[in-house]
Amino acid sequence: MTVLDDIKDYPWTGLIAGVLPPRLAAKLPPKFQAKSSQIVPAASIAGNALTVVIAIMTFLACLTAGGVYMINQSANAWVDDIASEITIELDPLNTADIEKKMTLVALFLAKQSGITRVKPLSADDSAKLLEPWLGSTAALSALPIPRLIAVEIDRSSPPDIDLIKNALNQNFEGVTLDDHRRWQSEIKLITRSTALGGIAVLGLVAAATIAVIVSATRSAMATNRAVIEVLHFVGATERFIASEFERHFLGLGVRAGLAGAFAAAIAFLLLPFLMYLLGGGAVTEAETRRLLGSGELDFGGYILLVGIVVVVAALCMITSRFGVFRVLKNYA
Amino acid sequence: MIRFDNVGLRYGSGPEILRDVTFHVLPGSFHFLTGPSGAGKTSLLRLLFMSLRPSRGLIFVFGENIADLPASGRAALRRRIGIVFQDFRLLDHLTTWENVALPLRVMGKKESDYADDVTDLLHWVGLGSRIHAYPEVLSGGEKQRAAIARAVIGRPELLLADEPTGNVDPAIGNRLLRLFVELNRLGTSVIIATHDYALMEQLEAPRLMLYEGQLQVSGP
Repeated sequence: MTVLDDIKDYPWTGLIAGVLPPRLAAKLPPKFQAKSSQIVPAASIAGNALTVVIAIMTFLACLTAGGVYMINQSANAWVDDIASEITIELDPLNTADIEKKMTLVALFLAKQSGITRVKPLSADDSAKLLEPWLGSTAALSALPIPRLIAVEIDRSSPPDIDLIKNALNQNFEGVTLDDHRRWQSEIKLITRSTALGGIAVLGLVAAATIAVIVSATRSAMATNRAVIEVLHFVGATERFIASEFERHFLGLGVRAGLAGAFAAAIAFLLLPFLMYLLGGGAVTEAETRRLLGSGELDFGGYILLVGIVVVVAALCMITSRFGVFRVLKNYA
Repeated sequence: MIRFDNVGLRYGSGPEILRDVTFHVLPGSFHFLTGPSGAGKTSLLRLLFMSLRPSRGLIFVFGENIADLPASGRAALRRRIGIVFQDFRLLDHLTTWENVALPLRVMGKKESDYADDVTDLLHWVGLGSRIHAYPEVLSGGEKQRAAIARAVIGRPELLLADEPTGNVDPAIGNRLLRLFVELNRLGTSVIIATHDYALMEQLEAPRLMLYEGQLQVSGP
């Protein structure tokens, strides 16, 4: 006598007819049609307003979940990227021949185990990294810009970073190693905060949905009081009566959930275009892309939206079930 | 089958509508419940049907003390009882056929198993041509017959009827009484609440007479 029994006994073939508008539902094959009229009339359950409210809730939930998913994917890719690289920085001050020192350090690094690629950056490459902040100016070449060596590490058998750091300090002066740990922890912190914020928003949306459904269930039961009394008189159990109501709310949840998720999917499809329109310049657009990735939801993201529809429909069904039981207790 | 021991009923803090009601209904018996308007006939039927709880006293239905029963237990007992209301209580959005089939649908029976029974019964009570009609287009007498058909379709062990012939002409009234007698012969206990002395004269059956909230049993 549980929700699982209700799910097992649910006339799933009739659900398609419940989701479609009556005119289209009437054209379905007999297998998908309800055999008898509904004991609780659909029109007495809720109007379009409730469907619209649930659809909006689903839309907001999908946007939140999709946004958090995209940021998470983007942050993971970023962390993966920087975790497979270390940067060696050479101080140009107090060094007579910086190019020679670059070569020596690069050769030293190439000999270490666990390092797959060593790429010394030219003075121009280092200057280009500062261009977005200082601009392209001839004065840049006069500045003592630190020289960089990008080192790619083998993630399957990574080197002992502390050992390399000590060796560099012993053999070369003015050479520092940055393994990006600070950045990694900050990105993880931001991702975690965003996920927590998203969960909080989803919690609020779920709470609002539950409140709306509870209110709609009570209203539907008050409207159908005569039907409930007759069902009692003919020996219907509370479970039977609850299933008659939750069937309607499940259909409503599926319809509204699909509409909300569809609208959210359209929004995600249009997001790259919106990012382009709202980019406000190459740097801002690039920063937005860095935060949200490409701005496109991948297959996993769309599966997440489908999952939200299932959760919304189940929430509608379960909430109405408990709402009916609660009201029936007062009847007794 | 049914036992009332010193049952009293009051609504809220009002006066007692029923006082010290004690009686037994044996399996296969036939009773008329009568008394003036406002004597408490409908309240007594509602107690029998467990839609009201007594203010005091004990009620046993099919050997079960209803005070000890959970909601699911009361629902199971109600399936063994058929009831005909004075105001019919048909569901307006269901056809006559669907209304009559409702108790069987609630029991979880397959439509294919009971479809012919429902149709045959509707023909028997003279509603063969109104199978697909909705209650709002039925006359008072037709609604009454549909309500009776709904009460008896599940072959109940006990049938309760509140003024079942109040809205029908004498010929149909006699036919309905024959239906009740026939059900009684097949083993169903019947209690008919009525004002109709002509109807009671047609059958020798014990009378439960309610007067000012108190019950007296008379007759054979």
